[in-house]
Amino acid sequence: MLTRRLAIQSGLATIAMPAVLRAQTLSGQITLMSYAGIFQDNYTKTVIEPFQQKHPGVKVNFVPGGSSAQMVGSVRAQKADPQTDVVIMDVTTSSIGNLEGLFEKLTPAEFPVLNELLPEARAAGGEFGPAVTFDHLVIVQDAALNPQLTKLADVWRPDLKGHIALAAPPNIQGLALTAMTEKMEGGDYRKSIDAAMKKLKELAPGVNTFDPNPDGYSLILNGVAKVATGWNARAQLYSDQTNGKINVLLPPEGSVFQVNTINLTAGSKNRAAAAAFVAHALSQDAQKAFTERMFYAPSNAKAQIDAKALARTAASPENLARMIPVDWNEVLKVRDQWNNRWRREVIAAAR
Amino acid sequence: MTVSRRLPLLLIPATLFLLVIYVWPSLGLFRNAFNEVGPTGAMVEAWSLATWRATFHDSFTFELTLNSLWLSSVSTLIALCMAYPVSLFLFRTDSRFRGLLAVVAIMPMLVSGVVRVFGWLAILGDRGLVNTTLQSLGLISTPLKLVFNWTGVTIGLAESIMPYMILALLAGFGRLDRTLEEAARSLGASPFRTFRRVTLPLSLPAIALAAGLGFVLSMSAYITPKLLGGGRVFVLATEIFEQATTNTNWPVAAVLAIYTLVLLLALLVVSNLVARRLQR
Repeated sequence: MLTRRLAIQSGLATIAMPAVLRAQTLSGQITLMSYAGIFQDNYTKTVIEPFQQKHPGVKVNFVPGGSSAQMVGSVRAQKADPQTDVVIMDVTTSSIGNLEGLFEKLTPAEFPVLNELLPEARAAGGEFGPAVTFDHLVIVQDAALNPQLTKLADVWRPDLKGHIALAAPPNIQGLALTAMTEKMEGGDYRKSIDAAMKKLKELAPGVNTFDPNPDGYSLILNGVAKVATGWNARAQLYSDQTNGKINVLLPPEGSVFQVNTINLTAGSKNRAAAAAFVAHALSQDAQKAFTERMFYAPSNAKAQIDAKALARTAASPENLARMIPVDWNEVLKVRDQWNNRWRREVIAAAR
Repeated sequence: MTVSRRLPLLLIPATLFLLVIYVWPSLGLFRNAFNEVGPTGAMVEAWSLATWRATFHDSFTFELTLNSLWLSSVSTLIALCMAYPVSLFLFRTDSRFRGLLAVVAIMPMLVSGVVRVFGWLAILGDRGLVNTTLQSLGLISTPLKLVFNWTGVTIGLAESIMPYMILALLAGFGRLDRTLEEAARSLGASPFRTFRRVTLPLSLPAIALAAGLGFVLSMSAYITPKLLGGGRVFVLATEIFEQATTNTNWPVAAVLAIYTLVLLLALLVVSNLVARRLQR
């Protein structure tokens, strides 16, 4: 007998059937391009493997793409015959890809998960791929350093002369540090960076390297530097992995978000599976798993993150209050100008 | 068809290979140099000279050129001073270990450039071999700044081009005749005078050849200035890489790459002219 409950259930099943069938019939291979090293290792464990369990017919190939600029370069070079389906990269470069038609626009009709994202996450990509992780610039310091740095202004301490590793522009860390220093000096990067340049010029003679290789965390662990700029997520993980040999400081003067967006390549050869992966990467489960593993702040507002893990990201209310709102699309317009000022004023003062 | 007429056919595989892997990408690079970059960093397809004008109106391009020329000159000179005695010894020795010694001399070529540079970081760093030794001998109290500056890059670059220069010198020592030196000695010339009046003039073509090669390799070196320069050493090669892979500014990278190529070709022509004149 057809009861009302049965009728509703049948109706819902009918509506859901295409999606269920699609999920069951997804197959083939997709190529995901993003950062190598610990990002790849942890993203594979927390996001890719669960996706493959949900869709046994789909194989996700992770291709390390180097820096974000190198990734957009690869996608640009493959425009006529795309070899990658999904790319996770920094928003400053993904916006270049969006303008060049390398990535697809995503609609809430096809990706209902977009409605679960933070407004900042949606805004980051515009109509294109949204933010998948948030990170922020931190000061990384040798745990043996005494006294420990407690604020950004401490980087100028005389005892640190010759032990500082900074990543100068055009590296995005250098751009972020410029905005942070301007704020520390009471200015606003949108109006001028004169105060930041003056202050950074004072720091320059004490800087060991403006191009940390392989990175600031390693230089501290190898004893080459005592203080460096870094990204929170990686710094937190390195701190854990080395049993606290490095400490991570979110300066009370403020920090800057770095946004990674997830992008669906225009002309993807296995679009259905690639779109399913994008939806999965933005889902509550994937966001929770990755945040708790690697301390990137989630972009899905509904993800229920463990309180301890959340406190180590910029998503906790206390940390969130310290963030300086930076519009990376605006910074892109002045990037070359900042880069030239660093070379002519800051780095020149270090020679 | 006679054998001599068929000989040019042997060139076809190499020509096709070069067309595909060198000429075609170079044409792509040339095309990129005429594109433009919008205010938000996106590349705009165009046939424009705007990037060329902007690049050559920027005084930093000339700073990069002078930096590259200076660094290459100094590194080549240092490498030449070290490679010449080694090459002369290898050319002259009758030792049965000559082959082995030659392999040892050029062995650094067999090691990855990145590995060698990280080796230099371990040797020249604040807590490296050099500073530790000098400090333990009481010769210095604070570590010398030997890396992340021009000093480190010059040392690393000189070392990296030395094996190539040894090979070039060995190849160019053909005119060096031992009997001429023996004649000079029998006429009463001192060893130094013999070297100055006979050996050195006869080896000048080899020196020109090796110097040209070393200079070109130094000009195009990227890994050493990037890793040992600590972000303080700006040369054309590092700037091309930065523009292409950090700034995503392919048009500027292409303009600088073409400029560097033309500069290197001009230097090679000059080097060849000098070598030919010295051979007369």
